[in-house]
Amino acid sequence: MTLYADYAYLIVGLPVLAFILTIFFGWHLPRGGGFLTVLATFAGFIISAGIFTEIFPEKVVHQSMHWFATLNVGILIDPLALVMLLMVTFVCTLIHTYALGYMNGDPGMARYFAEAGLFTAAMLGLVYSDNLLQLFIFWELVGLCSYLLIGFWYRKPSAASAAKKAFLTTRVGDVMFLAGIILLYNNMAKLGLPEGTYLLQFPVIYENLTRIDPTQLTLVSLLLLGGAAGKSGQFPLDIWLPDAMEGPTTVSAMIHAATMVTAGVYLVARMFPLFYAAPYGLLAVAYVGGFTALYAATMGLAAFDIKRVLAFSTVSQLGYMMLALGVGSVVGAAAVGVSMFHLIGHSFFKALLFLCAGSVIHAVATNDLREMGGVGRYMRWTAGTMAIGGLALAGFPGTTGFFSKDEILVTAWEYGAMTHDYLPYIFGIVGALLTAFYTFRMWFLTFTGEPRSDYHKHESPWIMLGPLVILALFALFFGMPAQEGFYETVGNNFAHYGVDFEELAPIGGHVVEHGGEEAAVHEPFIIKILPILVGVGGIILALLFYSPWKKLDIRKFVGEKDLLRTILVKRYYQHEIFTAWFAETVVYGISLIANIFDIRIVDGVLNKISETTLGFANSIRRAQTGVIQNYITALVFGIVVLVIVIKLAMEVGL
Amino acid sequence: MPLELYIMLAAVMFSIGLYGLATQRNGVKLMMCVELMLNSANINLVAFSAYQPNVSGQVFALFSIALAAAEAGIGLAILITLYRLYGTIDLDNINALRW
Repeated sequence: MTLYADYAYLIVGLPVLAFILTIFFGWHLPRGGGFLTVLATFAGFIISAGIFTEIFPEKVVHQSMHWFATLNVGILIDPLALVMLLMVTFVCTLIHTYALGYMNGDPGMARYFAEAGLFTAAMLGLVYSDNLLQLFIFWELVGLCSYLLIGFWYRKPSAASAAKKAFLTTRVGDVMFLAGIILLYNNMAKLGLPEGTYLLQFPVIYENLTRIDPTQLTLVSLLLLGGAAGKSGQFPLDIWLPDAMEGPTTVSAMIHAATMVTAGVYLVARMFPLFYAAPYGLLAVAYVGGFTALYAATMGLAAFDIKRVLAFSTVSQLGYMMLALGVGSVVGAAAVGVSMFHLIGHSFFKALLFLCAGSVIHAVATNDLREMGGVGRYMRWTAGTMAIGGLALAGFPGTTGFFSKDEILVTAWEYGAMTHDYLPYIFGIVGALLTAFYTFRMWFLTFTGEPRSDYHKHESPWIMLGPLVILALFALFFGMPAQEGFYETVGNNFAHYGVDFEELAPIGGHVVEHGGEEAAVHEPFIIKILPILVGVGGIILALLFYSPWKKLDIRKFVGEKDLLRTILVKRYYQHEIFTAWFAETVVYGISLIANIFDIRIVDGVLNKISETTLGFANSIRRAQTGVIQNYITALVFGIVVLVIVIKLAMEVGL
Repeated sequence: MPLELYIMLAAVMFSIGLYGLATQRNGVKLMMCVELMLNSANINLVAFSAYQPNVSGQVFALFSIALAAAEAGIGLAILITLYRLYGTIDLDNINALRW
C-alpha cells in the first residue's frame, strides 16, 4: 500500500521543480508561470494533510540515509514538524495565489515566483529536516531567498540596502548558530556513541542530552538562541525586519507569517529539550522574548508606514512565542504547544493583515498612513477582513489570537508564581495592551475618516480577495476548536523520543502538570480576565484617539516634537547605534587591525615566498644558454659522474 | 677477430661523435657527428649479433639505419630552411628563441 508518507520528499521537491521551471521558462508563461508555484505548494499541502491523517496522533515518519562521516540526510515528521508543514504549505498557497493578482504586470514576475517557490521549498525543508546540519543548510537557503526577495526591486537603492541589511544581520545570528552546531557536535562526538550513530540527528541529540556537560549545554543553547534571534528578529538583532518592508508586500507576508521569522521560533521549539536541560538556557529565551515583545510594540505606536506597523507587530508577536517557550522551564514541554499554537494562529492573521495592507497599497499606491484615510468606503472587503485580522492580533475574545495569546500570558503568570519572577509576564501584558492599541490606530487611520490625499479608489480583484476571506475565516475560527487537541499533540511531541523532562530538569526547574485540576498554581480570577481587559482596552483607547468619533487628541499628550515620539520614530536609535557607532568605530577599528594583519602577515608571507622563488630562478636561469653544445657537455659530465658514483657504490657493496 | 676490437672501434667512434657534437658549431658537422654515434651503436649491435648466433641484433641495426636516414632527411631540410632565413648554418647565430 502506498502511503502519503512515502512521498514526503515531494513536499520540498515540487516547489524546487517549480523554481527550476519558472526561472528558465517563466517568462514564456502567462503571469510568469506563477500557477506552477501555487500548484507545487498546494500539492505539498495535500501530501502534508495526507500524512497528517496517517500519523495522527501517535506515529512519527522518519526516513534517513547516510551522507558522509557521522552525518545523514533525512526527513523527520513528528507533530511539531507536521503542524508547521501544514501551516507553511497552506498559508504559502494562499499568498502565492494572491501574488498572482498582486504582482501581475511586474516585469520581474517570473523571477518573483521562482524565488518565492524556492523560499517555500527552503522553509519546508528546514521544517522536516531530521538533523541539525541539514536544518542549517535550509536555514541558510531561507536567508538567501529572503535576501533575493527583499531586494526584489533591486534598482531601488533602499531595497538593495534593506536586502543587504537583512542578509548581514541574520548572518550574525547564523554564525552563532553554526558555532553552536559545531560545539554540540564536538560534545556529542566525545560521548563515544556506537559506530554508525548520526551525531546531529535530533532523536540522537534528545537521547544523549543528560550525558553532556551542563556548562557546554548552556553555551550551545545561548549560541542557538543567537541564531534564532537573528532569524526571528529578536532584540538586539531586530533591526533588519522593519527595513525588510522594501520587498513586495507578498514577500513581507511570507517572511512575517509563514517562513523566515518563524524559523527561529521553530528552532528553539525543535531544540526545546536542549534548552530545557541547559541551566539558564530557557531563562535567556524568556527574557529575550519578553523584552522584545514589549520593545517592538512600543515602536509600533509611532510608525506611519502601514507595513512597518505590521513589521513591529511581527517582532513583538515572535517575542511572545519566544516568551512562551522560555517559561517552559516551569511548565515543561506543554510550553512548546502553547508557543506553536500562537505561531500557527499568528501566521494566519499576520498573513491576512499583510495581504490586506498589500491590497490597500495596491489601490492607493502609498505606504504612508498619513496619506490614506477613508479607504474603507471604497474597499469594504479589505477593510472588513483587515478588521478581523486586527481583532485577532489584538487578542479580541473569540478570535484565534485571543486563545493563543491568553494561554501565553497565563503560562507566563504561572512562571512568575513559581519563580517569583513576574518580569516576563509584565512585559507580555503591557505589550498586549500596546498591540491592541497600535493595531487599531493603524486600522482607523487607514480605513476611516476623510481621504487625506488624492488616491485611486477601487477594490482589489477577487484573485486577491479570495485568499483574504479564507485567511479571515481561519483568523476568526481556528482558535477554539483546535486549541485543546493542539496542546495535547504538539505538547507531547517529545514523548515520541522518550524525552523525560523530569530527568532533564535544570537548576530551579519545576514541571507543573499543565491545565489539569492538580495544577500546582491557582490562578486568581484577575489573571484570567486581564488579557481580555488589555485587549479590549487597547482597542477602546485607539477608538478614543484615532477614530472619527474621537474624544481625545493625541497631540495633547505627545507633541510632534516630543522626545518620546522622536525616540520611538527613530526606533530607540538602534540603527544609529549599530551603524554609526558600532559599525564605524568598533567594527571599523577591528577591521583596520585585521587589514594590517592581512597585508603584513598573510600577504607578506606569501609575497616573501614568491620573491624568494623568483630570485632563485633569476640566479640560475643563465644556465639555460640555448646552446646545444653546452647541454651536451653537461649531459656527458653528468653521465660520467653518475657512472663513477654507481661504480663506487658497487665497490662498497651497496 | 675478438669481440673486444669491435667494441673498442665502436667506443672510439662514439667518443669522436660526442666530441664533435660538443665542440662544433656547424649544423652539417653536428649531423655528421650524430651519424657517427648512431653507427657506433650499429657496429655494437651487429658484432654482438654475430658472436651470439642470433639475428635480432642485425634486424635492430637495419631499423636504426632506416631511422638515421629519415632523421638525416628531416635534419637537412631544417638546415636548408635555416640557411635561407639566416644566410648561415652556424648555430650560434641562430638565436631567435634565446633569452
